[in-house]
Amino acid sequence: MKRALLFALALIVVVGGYLGAAHLSGGAFPTPMVPVGGDRGELRRLAASFWEDIQFKDFKSAARYHSESTQGAVDIPYLIERIFMLKPELLDVMEIEVVFVDIDSTGDRGRVRTRLKCKNLAINNIFEKELMLYFRRADAQSPWTMELESSLRQIEADAAKAH
Amino acid sequence: MVRLGQQLPVLTARYLAVMAADLPTLLLLLAQAPLIGLLCQRIWLEVETDTPSLWFVLVLASVWFGCINACREIVKERPIVERERLFGLSMPAYVLSKLSVLGGIALLQVIFLQAAVEWRISLRGAYLLETLALWLAAVAGTGLGLVVSAVSARQERAVAAVPLLLLPQILLSRFTVPESSFEGGLGWARGLLPVYHGFHVFELAADSELRLGPLLWSLFVLLLESVILALICAALLLRRQESPR
Repeated sequence: MKRALLFALALIVVVGGYLGAAHLSGGAFPTPMVPVGGDRGELRRLAASFWEDIQFKDFKSAARYHSESTQGAVDIPYLIERIFMLKPELLDVMEIEVVFVDIDSTGDRGRVRTRLKCKNLAINNIFEKELMLYFRRADAQSPWTMELESSLRQIEADAAKAH
Repeated sequence: MVRLGQQLPVLTARYLAVMAADLPTLLLLLAQAPLIGLLCQRIWLEVETDTPSLWFVLVLASVWFGCINACREIVKERPIVERERLFGLSMPAYVLSKLSVLGGIALLQVIFLQAAVEWRISLRGAYLLETLALWLAAVAGTGLGLVVSAVSARQERAVAAVPLLLLPQILLSRFTVPESSFEGGLGWARGLLPVYHGFHVFELAADSELRLGPLLWSLFVLLLESVILALICAALLLRRQESPR
């Protein structure tokens, strides 16, 4: 009885310690079905989920991470082609990894560094790419949305300004 | 063999009890791992990603943990070992008991070390594979530490000898001289070092394509080194007690 109690106690300490560490680290350690990590955990999940949509070529779903006003204008296949220099149908995203999550001092701007292992299906070549995704929210209660311009889109020069 | 099987559980339980009795030392051993991990994390946060030099530091730290944990463990209880030898103490069982308990401590240390880094920066490659590489490197380091402990006459000398084991691991790395320098004898010598093989596992784990053969070979070499070092340690202890004083 005493041994079983000690075992249960040890288990609670280990599981609790792990979940606590996962939460404090911003979701850096896997906790399937348990969303921990606060804002950093949320950004981690959003970034991973965005790339998972790209992995499964669900471009409509990939567009919903952007603000509602820009969702309709987001041309994900074009962005993919521009960044990877590959037609989307030739790109196989094999592995998605979130390397690093950072939130600024206001708490409303975040950036997520992601690492992708991809395959060029045309020449059967595996390559790795690190990409930064930028997120923003209006306030602490608002949801995070992806900053399309800074994350994926090529910024065009402003003709009205001197360069 | 029968003696080994009978004595190993008793010696392991006794060594665990000795370790548990000196809780501050044990906690200090365990605490150094996350502290070093956090230090690494803080430094590599400046570049916001992992680099091969980070993998090298992690493997080196693991070997260092193993060496430091083990280097005093035989020499500090030499009078007890010599007395118990008269009553049939099996040296292989004695060394294995040390290796198993210190291997357990090393496992906790590498888990804490890796977790402290992964807290903010995700390391390239499979997490558990890297934990295994770090642990095997730490166990090989433990083997080195036990050998030093077996040949040392005093604890201070054993601790002083640890840098002699660790410096070659740094000097014979590609972070010191270019990769092309490691030909002939130097390359052969490098192939004996646990840090080289531990680091190689990290390199292979981060590779775009999985090369299972070299990966398994490096892990096997680390395991083999631990076994060989444990055997050398037992042989040294046997020889020491058989030779006239």
